Amino acid sequence: MISFDRVSLEYQADRFALQDVSFSLEPGSFTYLTGHSGAGKSSLLKLIARLEKPTSGEIKVSNISYSTLSRRQEPALRKQMGIIFQDNQLLNDRNVFDNIAFPLIIGGYKYSDIQKRVNAALNKVGLSNRGADDPMALSGGEQQRVGIARAVVARPKILLADEPTGNLDADISAEIMQLLMQFNNSGVTVLIATHDEGLLNTFDFPRLVIKQGRLLQSANSTIDGFNQHRPTGVRRRTNKPV
Amino acid sequence: MNSPTESRHELNPSTRKAVGSRWTYTKRGYALAQSLRQFKRYKVASMITLLVLGITLALPVILLFAGNALQQLGMRNLEGESLTAYLHTEVSDLQGAEMAQSWQGKLGIRSTRFISRDEALALFQENSDIGDAIDVLGRNPLPGAIMVFPDSNTVSPERFESLVNDLRNQAGVARVQMDLRWVKRLHAVVSLIQLVGGLLAGFLTLTALLVIGNTIRLELLRRRSEMEVANLLGASSGFMNRPIIYTGALYGLLGGLMACIIALMAFYAIREPAHELSSLYQSSFQLLMPSFTQIISVICVSFLLGIVGAVSSLYRPSQQLTSRISNT
Repeated sequence: MISFDRVSLEYQADRFALQDVSFSLEPGSFTYLTGHSGAGKSSLLKLIARLEKPTSGEIKVSNISYSTLSRRQEPALRKQMGIIFQDNQLLNDRNVFDNIAFPLIIGGYKYSDIQKRVNAALNKVGLSNRGADDPMALSGGEQQRVGIARAVVARPKILLADEPTGNLDADISAEIMQLLMQFNNSGVTVLIATHDEGLLNTFDFPRLVIKQGRLLQSANSTIDGFNQHRPTGVRRRTNKPV
Repeated sequence: MNSPTESRHELNPSTRKAVGSRWTYTKRGYALAQSLRQFKRYKVASMITLLVLGITLALPVILLFAGNALQQLGMRNLEGESLTAYLHTEVSDLQGAEMAQSWQGKLGIRSTRFISRDEALALFQENSDIGDAIDVLGRNPLPGAIMVFPDSNTVSPERFESLVNDLRNQAGVARVQMDLRWVKRLHAVVSLIQLVGGLLAGFLTLTALLVIGNTIRLELLRRRSEMEVANLLGASSGFMNRPIIYTGALYGLLGGLMACIIALMAFYAIREPAHELSSLYQSSFQLLMPSFTQIISVICVSFLLGIVGAVSSLYRPSQQLTSRISNT
């Protein structure tokens, strides 16, 4: 699904955001991307989302080689991905329904499909009665759930999350993780960038550990030819129904 | 959270209220709705921009309309004019009448009227204070003449001049008389107004483009978050740029409309004084209001200006977007 082969990203002469990074994630996997601030997590996510181009190396997503990808093809590639931000990036000039509908408008969906899908996404994240609200009227956790609903409403194959629980307390973080795991269970490949040790310890999934732009051996796998497995056992801190 | 058994497709009543009109969920409808929303949200700023555009475009529009009106005045005065071709005294009345007959329908001439030597003498004696003095000569010294009335295509000074030259070259014609000086002066003034109007139109069009361009750049800044998110959600450049182009087009359209309203008000205000002034010169000139075609043309040009201004400001904004993914 996602493979990096000796990928480097040089942002200044001899200064690397990422250096010789190789790994592959299989379809339907759930993986953490961990490391300290400035380690290169965001650079890696940007490379996957094609917001940056590597200085060297080969990236493939869904068997699409980025080295042959034209600028015109980038939007179609990004439509396969859902991206969740730490600060959720909701648009405050429109209500929750329209925020979630945004990717569907971009995708050219029919009006009836938009209604159905947004409604389903709102139900899924537990905000079925908040569609008419402004995002500013929601709590931090609710806003993040709207962000997740927006990321998944167009049914992407890959979900990239950048510190999705960064601003949230432990209980809300657990709820968000439960949601992400639900989407993973339906076959979506999930990659979460985080340095939240509490989260990493509570929900045990394979990790890609980055330090100073280099990929270190992860807890569950080897780096080269990173062999990803679907998680089998997940320790949960909360027993809240999802 | 809701039960998984809850209907996925049945809209919650509160959500139903959140859903906008069907057309706003299509790509083009979304772009138009966003543009209109910006006008609605920033009413005062939008109105000021439209006023600036309207006033900027109104001046060249007024000059354009005024130039056309004055040109029509010049042409209308030429339409009633005639030339007089004086014949050699050797040309007999019969020959003169035949010449007048043969000129009709040719050389841009609508009609002719032959005035025989005797008729000319009679007219002279009737209308001149020195009519009796001619008797002293004992003969008629006046030549026959042909009055020439040009057709409607021969109304410019250049065509009149060409006709005069053609008539001069006709056998039997001694001289051709037509006082074109005032017509030439009027046309020179009209040409000057049109030239100044053209130059001003050029400068002010550029100003309008800059105003629209600057407004669009501010709009781009305002919409930066939306464009960044759209970019990450897989929006094409076309999708991201469309609301901006629609905004430019709306500014152009409404600015042109405002310019026409200002120009029409100005015309209405000066119409009566212009009529009074012309009546002092025994002229029946009336300032014509701009035609519907002229007004539509101005609005169309302004509409295009808006689009050009917006497109020129875009400069591939999707490439300038920086990712919102933070540096972690």
